[in-house]
Amino acid sequence: MRRTRALKDLLWVFALAGLVAGVFRLWFGLGATTNLSDAVPWGLWKIFNMVAGVAISTSGFMVGFLVYVLKLERFRPLMKPAILVAFLGYGCSCLALLFDIGLPFRFWHPFLMWNEHSFLFEVFWCVSLYFTITAIELGPTLFEKLRAERVVAFLHRIAFGVVVVGISLSSLHHSSLGSLFLVTPQRLHPLWYSSLLPLFFIISAAGAGLMFMVLIKIVYARLYDRESVFGPKSEEAIAIVPMGGGSNGNGKERPTGRDLPMLVSLASIATSILGAFGVIQVARLLVDGSWRVLAAGTWESWLFGLEMALLVGLPLFLVWNPQTRRSPTALGLAAISACSGLFLNRMDVGIFGYFRSAGEVYFPSLAEWALSAGVIAAAGLTFLVIVENFSVFDEEWKTRRADMGIFKAKFDSFSLVWNTALSSGLERATVIAVIMIPLAWSLMYPSYARIDALEVEPALGLDVTRTVLCINGNTTGVKTDFPHADHRERLGGDTSCRQCHHMSLPGDETTACFRCHRQMVQSTRIFDHGEHTLAVAESEQLGGIYPSNHSCGVCHPAGEAKSAESAKPCLECHREDARWEEPADQDSDLALAVSYMEAMHENCIPCHRDEAEKPDQKALDDCSTCHRSLKQREVPIETVTMRR
Amino acid sequence: MEAWLDFAKGPLFAFTFGIMIAGLFRLVFLQVYHLLVKKGRRLKDVPWMAMVRESLSWVIPVRHIEPGTKIFSIASFLMHIGVIVVPLFLLDHVVRWERFLGLDLPAVSKGTADILTLLTIACSLLLLAYRTFRARHRTVSGPVDYILLVLVLLPFVSGYLAMHPALNPLPWDVMMLTHILSAEVLFLMIPATKLAHVVLFFFDRISAVHWQLRPGAGDRVAEALYGEEVRI
Repeated sequence: MRRTRALKDLLWVFALAGLVAGVFRLWFGLGATTNLSDAVPWGLWKIFNMVAGVAISTSGFMVGFLVYVLKLERFRPLMKPAILVAFLGYGCSCLALLFDIGLPFRFWHPFLMWNEHSFLFEVFWCVSLYFTITAIELGPTLFEKLRAERVVAFLHRIAFGVVVVGISLSSLHHSSLGSLFLVTPQRLHPLWYSSLLPLFFIISAAGAGLMFMVLIKIVYARLYDRESVFGPKSEEAIAIVPMGGGSNGNGKERPTGRDLPMLVSLASIATSILGAFGVIQVARLLVDGSWRVLAAGTWESWLFGLEMALLVGLPLFLVWNPQTRRSPTALGLAAISACSGLFLNRMDVGIFGYFRSAGEVYFPSLAEWALSAGVIAAAGLTFLVIVENFSVFDEEWKTRRADMGIFKAKFDSFSLVWNTALSSGLERATVIAVIMIPLAWSLMYPSYARIDALEVEPALGLDVTRTVLCINGNTTGVKTDFPHADHRERLGGDTSCRQCHHMSLPGDETTACFRCHRQMVQSTRIFDHGEHTLAVAESEQLGGIYPSNHSCGVCHPAGEAKSAESAKPCLECHREDARWEEPADQDSDLALAVSYMEAMHENCIPCHRDEAEKPDQKALDDCSTCHRSLKQREVPIETVTMRR
Repeated sequence: MEAWLDFAKGPLFAFTFGIMIAGLFRLVFLQVYHLLVKKGRRLKDVPWMAMVRESLSWVIPVRHIEPGTKIFSIASFLMHIGVIVVPLFLLDHVVRWERFLGLDLPAVSKGTADILTLLTIACSLLLLAYRTFRARHRTVSGPVDYILLVLVLLPFVSGYLAMHPALNPLPWDVMMLTHILSAEVLFLMIPATKLAHVVLFFFDRISAVHWQLRPGAGDRVAEALYGEEVRI
């Protein structure tokens, strides 16, 4: 009971953080909330939640295949849970994808606007149809509770057909997801790129999906129905001895639960499929010569090795080794290993092995992690609710519900009130919401993230006398060699400095651009309130223990709110430092310096444009005049709007 | 120090204020939920008029002053005026409300705010003295009563000193940071402690009136405290 409650609390934490992340993604857009870029256009949501999430949910059609087509009746008890897992797995994949596509409200477009040349078109149709199929398959479980016997009877009558359609749809789109990566041989690393990718995708998904079912059953048993898998409670200590340790040398049989043989046989089928996957994979490496890449010892080859060990090696060993074969713990470990191996495989194909060629390192943002985990947590919560209230695993849920116990109000010695705050589900969930929503909100709110606050590098003098300056603020972009001395001479000698150096720091002349315009594409707040209180107290010769305490009235008028808006204009004191040609606007806000890029362009372009009007100076207003690495424009510059 | 101030005014304020709002919302939601859903009452059954009348009678609690607690009650009442008016309607706060939430509130004059602040501080100190030195009050006070009173005092004292440099024994920014951080601790405490009477004030009236008017009221009290199973 306590374990279930702790698990639910944890799931609520993630689900609520995901909720906030989802709201931010919809409100502020992909660019502000994710670390995706033009070079890395997909990431965690698409690969982890969609590609891997769909692959792990194959239990629905695999168990259906075993029960309905191969007539293996012993797996019948797993049919309902498998359908529930498939429904939730596909549901949360689709939900994550909804947040991942650029314009979520256009998700229905592929229904009407067909692009039959795209693999994704096929994937879209199969996933949405199969999701509908799982919903229909789940129907009887839900309608039984509503006592709609006629609906249930109808659904049972069409069950076989529905299952068969489901199997075909599943096998279609799992291989298509692999085909998706077939079209990019130049991007995908040779260790993963193979013309057999569609086959690999469906085989690994089939095997790992069954292992996931084993895991779900074991987790369910741990939470609600321990005896069914782990055996009688009195023998608890023996039943959970891990692999190897508890060999039954003295002929004593280890007590096992009634469902364990079924799980072992399911795991055997699953690992056989995974073994087949391993064999084909190794044969492929040998045939197309990729084993040389594997032997190279690069980061990718270690990843590939880890993935194969998790997906194939460890599960095969744990399930087929006679000493560990009948231990639920080892079985669970094998299932966890296979599932994480499958996730790693999809991440390798979709991200690690894929974006190496993009030349950018992708690390998901906090909002991406939160939504990714949140969608899964929400599915987990739904799973627990359905399992507790409907007959999914067995029919004993009614009696179990009765003895879940009544929580009583507790006298809280801190707040001195009787409270029921943490007793039942609603109260606990709302407490978690009260903490998580503001926390996630303040951590993920985009304006605090400052993704593109690039610090600017100062212009470098290319020679001792600084006749030429190299302006390269962001150190990677298009650099400019600026003929500094030449400009001074051309604009009229020493008196011309102020034409460009429009403001200086106090006590300075011709302050360098980067000292105020400190960020490449964002404005900088250069006003330092703390420094001002000290400097003003000194210049006004104020008294007291802390003279700066008395400096407020110098800038902020008495009786008005002490805000930036009501304070004295900067130029009233800083006129000395400003070398404006004409008397400047009193209201101009000196607290904010525009971005470096804007400052540079605004400084140079107007003058260059005027000069270009003259007959012999045609090219002066072209980008390539300053940015030498750019080509000269074919179109006249007037037709191009300047970035502002 | 500027960076600390900016952090306390920006993300930390948003976080703690959000916790307070969400926490108070949760309390209201649970009250309504328990009243209407769990106990199956209809909105019609709630004696709205009686509740409003009762609440209003407590707003100016002349009727409720009992013989032995006159000064305590009056001090408590006067303190609440400043506690409600100053945080909401002080000019410098009004500017922040406008910037943060777009709220355009009227402002009280600086002199009024000063008087109210001093009144609140004086009354809180009086309440603290009562709780400390009067045996009658001490017996019903737990540690949290003292902690909360001091916590309520802190932002008022530090805010007053920050605005009056002649009295301020510390640098302005230190005092300001104390002011902001103590207010933010208070935000966190409001939904978690009896300070929740910020909103529960009105709901106390619902339940009080309700229990008095219904037959079998005693059982309902026990039910609310111990759950359905317990019978007195």
